[in-house]
Amino acid sequence: MIEILNLHKSFGELQVLKGIDLEMEHGKVLVIIGPSGSGKTTLLRCFNLLEVPDQGSLSLSDIKINFTDNKKIPQKSILALRQKTGMVFQSYNLFPHMTALGNVMEGQVTVQKRSKDEARERALQLLTKVGLADKADAYPHQLSGGQQQRVAIARAMAVDPEVLLFDEPTSALDPELVGEVLKVIKQLAAEGMTMVIVTHEMKFAADVADRIILMDGGHILEQGTPQEVLEHPQHPRALQFLNRISGEEV
Amino acid sequence: MDDRKIQIFLDSLLPLLKAGVAFTIPLALISFALGLILAILTALARLSPWVLPKLIARFYVWVIRGTPLLVQLFIIFYGLPAVGIVLDPFIAATIGFTLSVGAYSSEIIRAAILSIHKGQWEAAFSVGMTRTQALRRVILPQAARVSVPPLSNSFISLVKDTSLAATITYTEMFRTAQQVASTSYEPLLIYCEAGLFYLLFCSVLSALQNYLEKRLSRYSAS
Repeated sequence: MIEILNLHKSFGELQVLKGIDLEMEHGKVLVIIGPSGSGKTTLLRCFNLLEVPDQGSLSLSDIKINFTDNKKIPQKSILALRQKTGMVFQSYNLFPHMTALGNVMEGQVTVQKRSKDEARERALQLLTKVGLADKADAYPHQLSGGQQQRVAIARAMAVDPEVLLFDEPTSALDPELVGEVLKVIKQLAAEGMTMVIVTHEMKFAADVADRIILMDGGHILEQGTPQEVLEHPQHPRALQFLNRISGEEV
Repeated sequence: MDDRKIQIFLDSLLPLLKAGVAFTIPLALISFALGLILAILTALARLSPWVLPKLIARFYVWVIRGTPLLVQLFIIFYGLPAVGIVLDPFIAATIGFTLSVGAYSSEIIRAAILSIHKGQWEAAFSVGMTRTQALRRVILPQAARVSVPPLSNSFISLVKDTSLAATITYTEMFRTAQQVASTSYEPLLIYCEAGLFYLLFCSVLSALQNYLEKRLSRYSAS
């Protein structure tokens, strides 16, 4: 369903992705872990072209895009790709001038041209799903971080994407609010939603992932089932990273 | 104050108010509305990825900000007839003030757009919006809130600047005051009276600004 081949990305002199290959199937959950600066967020942002790779190719169901230096990607392909993906950001990025309901309706009305009634119905359905039906009329600043992030998940799902992208969805949250967001993501996984998740929550990763990728220095160091990657890493640097993380969690 | 002065003061209240309501305020409102549109277009041109619109916008702002408004009004009203363009005083004044508001306010709007966190653009893009949709639905509504105080400043300045239109024979409030002053021989009294009217108009605008800020801040904690 998603295939990435030989993806390269640099910011100026800094090479952030140095040839990434990966494949994933429909209905699976891929978790990307790795030390900060390893390129995992950049890789995730390439999935919906918030970052445009310099080289390589990306295909998502029927869309295939080749990247070569300096070649502009047609706006049509970018928009088509973004309609098949939804993204949840570390800092939520809800639209502050719209209510929770407005946030979830916005993409449906503006991008997909659904009628307001249809969009409202779908939005309420999604807010109910993330447990926030009673907050439909609240503005983002009236919600806790965990509630905002759940609205953001509903917003990302509202345009019926084929894959949901999560960029460290719990990193900005107070510890006691992490659980409610992870619970929603787990529920989505159980329902067969295709997801790519960048996270530092190792226990959650082990729980929810079908496959885990461990990145370091712009390369994929390890990939496999959670058991393979988390318990039997092959690469010494992977082991080092996992030890450090588990040390922090104890 | 003797009775004669009081009588002159009272007699001129109505003509001044009339000139203010019928000429000063419409000139300010129309120029500001058109100027805002021009300002938004100019700000967008300056922020666009294309070179030509950027250059045109920068040139326009450079020229208008770098020359006195009075000189611009004189060029438009007294200068252009030399090349066959004769304009009615109201039209000439509207053009002059619109260009002025457009240039100054474009900087306010540009700064307001730049002040919106880039995460807002990314969130808009991630639900599939084009740049135009993101601007219209997400960025500009937030930028509008940020720009209310500085834009109110511009509008208040404009209301006072409309008195310059007196110099190109547009009979707004100040020109009316000049006429009353010259016939009554009471310049101190009449010009103070005109000043009071400007003060009144601007106070109403300040109140309006407060109201607008309160209304637009309903979605923010601060």
